[in-house]
Amino acid sequence: MYIMPKNQSGALAAALAEDYDLYGPILPDASGEPLFDRAEDPAAIRLDAAISYNPPKSVVFPQAERILSYRYDKDSRTAAIVRDDLVRPKALVGIRACDLSGLLCLDRFYLGQEYVDEVYRDHRKKMFIVANTCVRPFPQCFCVCTDSGPAPREGFDVALTGVGDDYLFETGSEKGEALARKLGLKEAGPGAAALKAKTVDASIARFDAEATQNKAWISRVMNRITMGFIGNDVWEYIGDQCFECGACSFVCPTCSCFNIEDVNTREGGTDRKRSWDSCSYEGYTRMAGDHNPRHPVEDRRNKRFFCKLSFSQSKKYLRPGCVGCGRCNRVCPGDIGIANVVTYIRREITKAGAK
Amino acid sequence: MSVPNAGAIVTVPEIAVIDEIKDEIEDVRTYYFSFENNDVGRDFRVKSGQFVMCTVFGAGEFAVSLPFSPENDRPHLSVRRVGHVTRALHELRAGDKIGLRGPFGNGFPFDAIKGRNVVYVAGGIGLIPLRSSIVHVLQHRPEFGRIILLYGARSSKDHMYKYMIDEWKKIPGFEVHVAVDRPEEGWTGEVGFVHTLVGPASVPVKDTVAFVCGPPLMFNSVIKELLAAGLKDDAIISTLERHMKCGIGKCQHCAIGRTLVCTDGPVYTYRQIKTLGEQI
Repeated sequence: MYIMPKNQSGALAAALAEDYDLYGPILPDASGEPLFDRAEDPAAIRLDAAISYNPPKSVVFPQAERILSYRYDKDSRTAAIVRDDLVRPKALVGIRACDLSGLLCLDRFYLGQEYVDEVYRDHRKKMFIVANTCVRPFPQCFCVCTDSGPAPREGFDVALTGVGDDYLFETGSEKGEALARKLGLKEAGPGAAALKAKTVDASIARFDAEATQNKAWISRVMNRITMGFIGNDVWEYIGDQCFECGACSFVCPTCSCFNIEDVNTREGGTDRKRSWDSCSYEGYTRMAGDHNPRHPVEDRRNKRFFCKLSFSQSKKYLRPGCVGCGRCNRVCPGDIGIANVVTYIRREITKAGAK
Repeated sequence: MSVPNAGAIVTVPEIAVIDEIKDEIEDVRTYYFSFENNDVGRDFRVKSGQFVMCTVFGAGEFAVSLPFSPENDRPHLSVRRVGHVTRALHELRAGDKIGLRGPFGNGFPFDAIKGRNVVYVAGGIGLIPLRSSIVHVLQHRPEFGRIILLYGARSSKDHMYKYMIDEWKKIPGFEVHVAVDRPEEGWTGEVGFVHTLVGPASVPVKDTVAFVCGPPLMFNSVIKELLAAGLKDDAIISTLERHMKCGIGKCQHCAIGRTLVCTDGPVYTYRQIKTLGEQI
């Protein structure tokens, strides 16, 4: 473990900018709402910003991207298909623990199943990750309930933990060590691990008072959902509140469903584009010929919560599909962000238990 | 979970030439193809029951079952014109090119059913995905017991692969029963929905496996009939279709219950289908 004065964070970002495209929390406008986005200027990255409105998944899984393009000449009947080479290395600077957990879920899902998703792999390879411990929670947070924070535990090259005017600079890879040397950082000394643990404990202790919007202990709910103990009336109650806007999927760090469309360009070629999709949309499962096996809205809601909270999906992520960032609760125009759904189902379980 | 085929085409489609087009029934055509690159064609090994993602250039991509047997059978796709991509396919002529990815999916469990009687029950174009299995079983005739096909469609004009059925009827020991829903002039075969053939065909129960494919209504009545006859739910095998985008278990459009049709399916036993908790 090393120690880095907070005023050296600019130097850290600048050092990474030599080899990587930088992405991190930035404040793009006067609203003060942080976004996790490309930082052309390393100085734009704000490690002190609140949790970003959007999840960092868009860096590895853009909202819309071309995955290949082709040209078919009807006269000569020849086809040529080209896949773009996406090898520019990227650095995520200031990713929060929940979002890093989310990224690792995506890794396991896209890279760790039967097939490797080559498009995702190209974004992900050669990446440098600087994670940032949340030394105090934000009102929307519940990572302590989903075992994904407030401190990052794996998957980083560097993890920063703010202590006074300094960051404890913990390395998780040889790349991280090299950066510490490049920045000329001092060793943190023998008390550093204990200091970090104390800081993280203090952060966890503040959740009760400060993370006031969410209390979502999910383990018992996971058991009930997996075993199919949740009654249809509960799903219908939840489904009734869904506006089918898809916002929960778009701000979720682990939602990874996508659509693929071939879009003809003005130049006579075609781009195959993939873009975020949401299982809450009615057209999501509709087949050609209009047969739709998943019709009522509660069917589709049920699907999303199953995906986040059931054991079968957790097997693919090696952890629950919810990482406790609280974004879906913020954006839902109804009242069915994951935390509220968990709270609601827990109440039902308690009621059933009391009978 | 299925193991990916060695040499499967995963992300970038390979270009194939449509060698010949055959009109089957209204809105359904068969497209015989070969790969532009011979090496790709050589490595393109399919298992019966798998599917491919077919690109129609300028229109998009769709999932379609493979009707040909892995051995000694000419590669082809049989496609109904139903959405905008398949409509675009139907505009193509012999000599035009398409793109193919795959093969994907688990395929039919032939090793598990060796030595048993095999009953095929198909409705309408449900015969297309079963064709590869039928041809395969006929190619390995001594490894199986009785082989029965129960096939029905609205009218004789809607019978898929009519020329094959005529050949199949001539094969000794292959019991072929073909029906039309309503009586029609000149039809001398059986009349009625396909599930009504189960009794008259005296479908065996012991050591028997049934392959069922067809529209949801037909599927449900056939299942009911087979279960009533005494078949166990794990002796009934079907292949499902879903809206698909990627074919490799990532886009999740084809999720049914806790499974994905593209990688866990498309072949399921009825015992599995019952536990999926969704419509067919």
